[in-house]
Amino acid sequence: MPDVTLVINGQTVTVPAGTNIVDAARAAGVAIPVFCYHPRLPPVGMCRMCLVEVWTPRVDPATRQVVIGDDGKPVMALMMGKLQPGCVTPVSDGMEVRTATEKVHVAQKGQLEFLLTSHPLDCPVCDKGGECPLQNLTMQFGPSTSRFDYGDKIHFEKPIPLGDLIYLDRERCILCSRCVRFQDELAGDPVLGFDHRGRAWEIISKSDPPFDSKFSGNTTDICPVGALTSADFRFKARVWEVRPTASICPHCPVGCNLSLDMRHDKLMRVMPRENDYVNEIWICDKGRFGMRFIESADRLRHPLIRKGDSLVPAPWDEAIALVAEKLSQIREHAGAASLGGLAGPELPNEDLYLFQKLVRQTLGSPNLDCSTGASGAPEVVDLAATLGVGRGTNLAKSGAGTAVLIMGADPEEEAPLYVLRLRGIVARGGDLTVINPYPTKLERSAARSIRPHAGFEAFAALALVKAVLDQGLIATEFVTARVQGLDELTARLREQSVESLCETAGVSEASVRAAAQAFATAEHAIIIYGRAALAAGEDVLRALTDLALLTGKAGRPGSGVIALLPGGNARGALDMGVHPGAGSRRGMGAREMWAAARDGRLRGMIIAGMDPARDNPAIAAALDALEFVVVQDIFLTETAQRADVVLPTASIAGREGTFTNAERRVQRFRQARIPEYNTPAGWEVMQRIARALPPGRSESVTDARPVAGRRAQRASGATATATMDAPPATWDYAVASDVADEIAATVRGYAGTTYASLGLTRAPEWGRQPDEAVYYDGTSYQNAEGIGIQIAATADDPKTVFALRARVPAPFTRHATRPYLLLAVTRAYDGGEWGRESKLRSRMVPPHVILSVADAAAHSVAPGAIVRLESDAGRIELPVQIEVTLPQGLVLIPDVCGTPLSTIQTGPQTWVAISRVA
Amino acid sequence: MPPLTEHVVLRDLDIVNIADFDVYLQHGGYEALRSAVTEHTPADIVQVVKDAGLRGRGGAGFPAGVKWGFLPKGVYPRYLLCNCDESEPGTFNNHQIIDRNPHQLIEGIAISAYAIEAHTAFIYVRGEFAAAARGLERAIARAYAHGFLGKDIFGRGYDLDIFVHRGAGAYICGEETALMESLEGKIGQPRLRPPFPAVAGLYGKPTIINNVETLANVPMIVRNGAAWYRQFGTEKSPGTKVFSIAGHVKRPGNYEAPFGTPLRELLYSPDYCQGIRGDRKVKIVVPGGASAGWLTAHDLDVTMDYEALAAKGSMLGSGGVIVLDETVSAVEVAYKMDEFFKHESCGKCTPCREGTYFLVKVLHRINHGHGRKDDIPLLHDVYNQMAGNCFCLLGESAVVPIRSALRLFPHEFEQAISRAGNGHAIPLIPAH
Repeated sequence: MPDVTLVINGQTVTVPAGTNIVDAARAAGVAIPVFCYHPRLPPVGMCRMCLVEVWTPRVDPATRQVVIGDDGKPVMALMMGKLQPGCVTPVSDGMEVRTATEKVHVAQKGQLEFLLTSHPLDCPVCDKGGECPLQNLTMQFGPSTSRFDYGDKIHFEKPIPLGDLIYLDRERCILCSRCVRFQDELAGDPVLGFDHRGRAWEIISKSDPPFDSKFSGNTTDICPVGALTSADFRFKARVWEVRPTASICPHCPVGCNLSLDMRHDKLMRVMPRENDYVNEIWICDKGRFGMRFIESADRLRHPLIRKGDSLVPAPWDEAIALVAEKLSQIREHAGAASLGGLAGPELPNEDLYLFQKLVRQTLGSPNLDCSTGASGAPEVVDLAATLGVGRGTNLAKSGAGTAVLIMGADPEEEAPLYVLRLRGIVARGGDLTVINPYPTKLERSAARSIRPHAGFEAFAALALVKAVLDQGLIATEFVTARVQGLDELTARLREQSVESLCETAGVSEASVRAAAQAFATAEHAIIIYGRAALAAGEDVLRALTDLALLTGKAGRPGSGVIALLPGGNARGALDMGVHPGAGSRRGMGAREMWAAARDGRLRGMIIAGMDPARDNPAIAAALDALEFVVVQDIFLTETAQRADVVLPTASIAGREGTFTNAERRVQRFRQARIPEYNTPAGWEVMQRIARALPPGRSESVTDARPVAGRRAQRASGATATATMDAPPATWDYAVASDVADEIAATVRGYAGTTYASLGLTRAPEWGRQPDEAVYYDGTSYQNAEGIGIQIAATADDPKTVFALRARVPAPFTRHATRPYLLLAVTRAYDGGEWGRESKLRSRMVPPHVILSVADAAAHSVAPGAIVRLESDAGRIELPVQIEVTLPQGLVLIPDVCGTPLSTIQTGPQTWVAISRVA
Repeated sequence: MPPLTEHVVLRDLDIVNIADFDVYLQHGGYEALRSAVTEHTPADIVQVVKDAGLRGRGGAGFPAGVKWGFLPKGVYPRYLLCNCDESEPGTFNNHQIIDRNPHQLIEGIAISAYAIEAHTAFIYVRGEFAAAARGLERAIARAYAHGFLGKDIFGRGYDLDIFVHRGAGAYICGEETALMESLEGKIGQPRLRPPFPAVAGLYGKPTIINNVETLANVPMIVRNGAAWYRQFGTEKSPGTKVFSIAGHVKRPGNYEAPFGTPLRELLYSPDYCQGIRGDRKVKIVVPGGASAGWLTAHDLDVTMDYEALAAKGSMLGSGGVIVLDETVSAVEVAYKMDEFFKHESCGKCTPCREGTYFLVKVLHRINHGHGRKDDIPLLHDVYNQMAGNCFCLLGESAVVPIRSALRLFPHEFEQAISRAGNGHAIPLIPAH
């Protein structure tokens, strides 16, 4: 856009055309006070706080020429003869803005006097006090006294719940509509609105249950007064008492930047921390209200050792010694391959790295995994490491010219903040296609929604590839340089037509062609896939890969592939080698380990931060069959209860570490408090076990290959040459950054991700203006603790060449006697351990099954009725919920705690029969 | 200026039962529509309306033909909205038109929709006009039945649907963008401009919104030509205006008179209101709805046209003339009028929502004998904090009564306040 030059308070400024006066003034270092305006929301010009004098060159109506005065300068005229709201007035060339005149001061004082007429002035007991724009701007611009009678103030009952999470104080509300607009325009959950009019105007919730949105907490941040407060933080602390600590949300692969606001060692509240590359200034309610678990009284405090049927507290030395003794015994008697390790995808990189080092190198077993191995758990295939989104991608800047394709994912449940990010891309002119076998909320924001029959997703994905080939949408330059196998692919698909593939998938050919066209012709394009795509199998991912490659949407910023995997650090777990294929010798994955446990080939396991036995009797039985199990966790989980030794660890509040998000951004979190109950970080536990182990035969570390000590390596600046099999054999980590340094030195792609680099904020591209309190006070915290580093994907190296691998899926046949296809779907509020002590407990749903209207009618079941589901694996009974938009023949079971999914699932997609019980 | 011998808009006064479809037809009804659709291009119609100098009767007086010309070329669909949310205090001419002469409005809408190439028109009727709205719907049904509305009007391939929508009782919905919000099913509050309705109005499409009276003029202009129309009124305010005259006159009601008729004639002429009740003196005349600046007995020679009233610091507005004689208290009038604006403030912007509330609180206490010494400067400050700072004209209008009252009758405020200090009774009506 062309630039516009104007004068603000005598200072000449050049800003892009279309900029409003408030933002232009901010660029010039001039603060214009605002209430309703928020730079991340469309302006409305309601509060009239930003009134300024706007002078423009006078134009002769007859000649349309600027009138030149005697002094040779344009004659200036006050726009419309009155003050103008800066937030809705765009700048123009030659404009002169005056923000500090008497007239402006009178108006500012006047608006503040008005806003305070019915304000209760209860700052001393208001949660916003101390970070309140109304308070601050009144001090700066307002009158010192009010002429409005105290007795004339309007009183409301205060506060009233807008929902179970957010309270509204109507006396404090200045009716700026920031919250309503956030819900309408950004979150896409238009659940707030206004009722009545005039001075009786008030915010209401229109949804049932009230304020039904996963982003509700953000409204308390952007509320410029204390009208909206959260049930989680009300009256907990004064904001000046809290010590904000930079953290990262561990709940999902977005990796939102958080601030844990601590008073002494107590968590007072969770706030977002600004990072345009990740979460802008928003977080979802799971991140905000789902961190209370760190202070749960149920946290493990001491190591536990099995004595007969019970687990009894034991000193650390004894527990570690026992673990070392048992593990080395098994290794001596049955070989290292009879040991296995599982580590959860919520653990930080440091823990995961040392976990795999302990298992793979020190114990010498290749059996490692980061998934539970439950029968219905899909194979985790993460294209982020190969294709990924190009390094430098910033979704906050993507918009017009970007096409996004969602394939088999429900971002609202799997990675909620992506809803805001993607809706932002659409709002800025981007194109969105949603392909999913069942309805999701995001499809309301999409240009097209394509709903393949469940089980036939691969045909829809292949139809996209075929459409690209048919319609000549291939990016010739990229394909010639970096892609192999085009002729073979064309040959493989010769017999197919877009029409027949679409017919098989049950989707509209026109929509598929339009989606392919939009994807291929956009300057940038991004594929996002999730649980439903993984459940549909490898053919979907092969087709998606080829779609990105054929259209050249890989290896450059703003394009590529994002995987929504379960857990906050699945990307990190895979990078750190916590999967069976990471070493030189392939080991057993989780599923094979459970089989091996049952038949005695696997004798001992070490499990960290994972609860595979939850709701899974088969795995519980396999655990019971093992000779020795050590579990490291923060709660006494189902799995921990079956362990021989349980080792407690610190939560993310009690230690520091790093996570890698879905876009491969490595981000650092800081220690917010002394470790709870003096529990060590997970990596420390690994180190203790490793040090306690007697030196034994290790399969992959060879004496012949000298590996420099970690410290020596760091000093000499040696580059990463070691593989997962051969990191330095030493275990002398004093602090978490020692582990991070070794990760930077040995893990592919992680070079340079030292704590120091991760803590940079990259000024001047980044960083706030000093006066941004005007907008942000009481909202997100300035990010001074680092925006992380996005590591390169394989595709970012222009020399890498990819092979096209899409293939025609095997014909998908329906089950003869079980006519319904069951999919397990993710729910953000799944009732997991993270929800302990959380206000979100009321939002957790009990186990249930979701049927379409037609299928419910066919079995004459009403909501709440119990149905029996029966598959080849077994049968379960669950209460019914009916979903109006669910396609017939598809059955969804939310994957929430207490759902015995493993009893019925034969795989990620399971054929079931339904019968009514009650 | 002589009174009209024949009415242009209030033809129900000349022709008995013109609301009846057959009577309307007998008197040349829908001939203008037939002529427009079969003999003229849309551009011709726009031109004749421009030539006639037809000005918007809703209040702003903007030339209708010029407004129609603001539609962006080649952007469809377009909508025509007829604003019948007549809520301005003292204004009641739209109601008479839709109640007594609905077909002239329907014909005017049809011709105007044809002129702006719209195929859908909406009539937004004030909620309280329930019976009239039903009559309007019956009239529209007759027009459909005779092929004057609907598909392929007069066999020329022009389609038009007219929908009647009743409001839910909010003054602000007469503001054109709030009206569109309301019509879209949202809370009735004004929209930010730009974009202007002609560019992005109802449902984001180019929209023309005209007052009932404006559109009711169109058939007569098309039938008789611009020159005929310009024989009425003044050079800059051509045509006639229906003045709704209410208050302390002997014969209140709607009077259609040429623009430029002196106010005194409207109030005292035997053709119009025949004087003030009890032959008292005029104290306050609000010439164009509650939003217009006050006139006094000294201003009665002003001519009733846009220019002359603007020169007096008032406005013609909606043509709702409120006449108050010497028995009223200026304080109470200001209080009542601002009470109205407070009641009708939508709440969207701070100065209107809080300012009207503040003003009324102060006016209430002065009017009820509890005024304070500082209240007069306070009132000046409060309306100055509103003036020019509001989101739409409602808040700006609320400034007018109190500013007029304080300018014209400051002593009444001082008197009310000083008496309050002396513990006197409530000074509702000043002594004469």
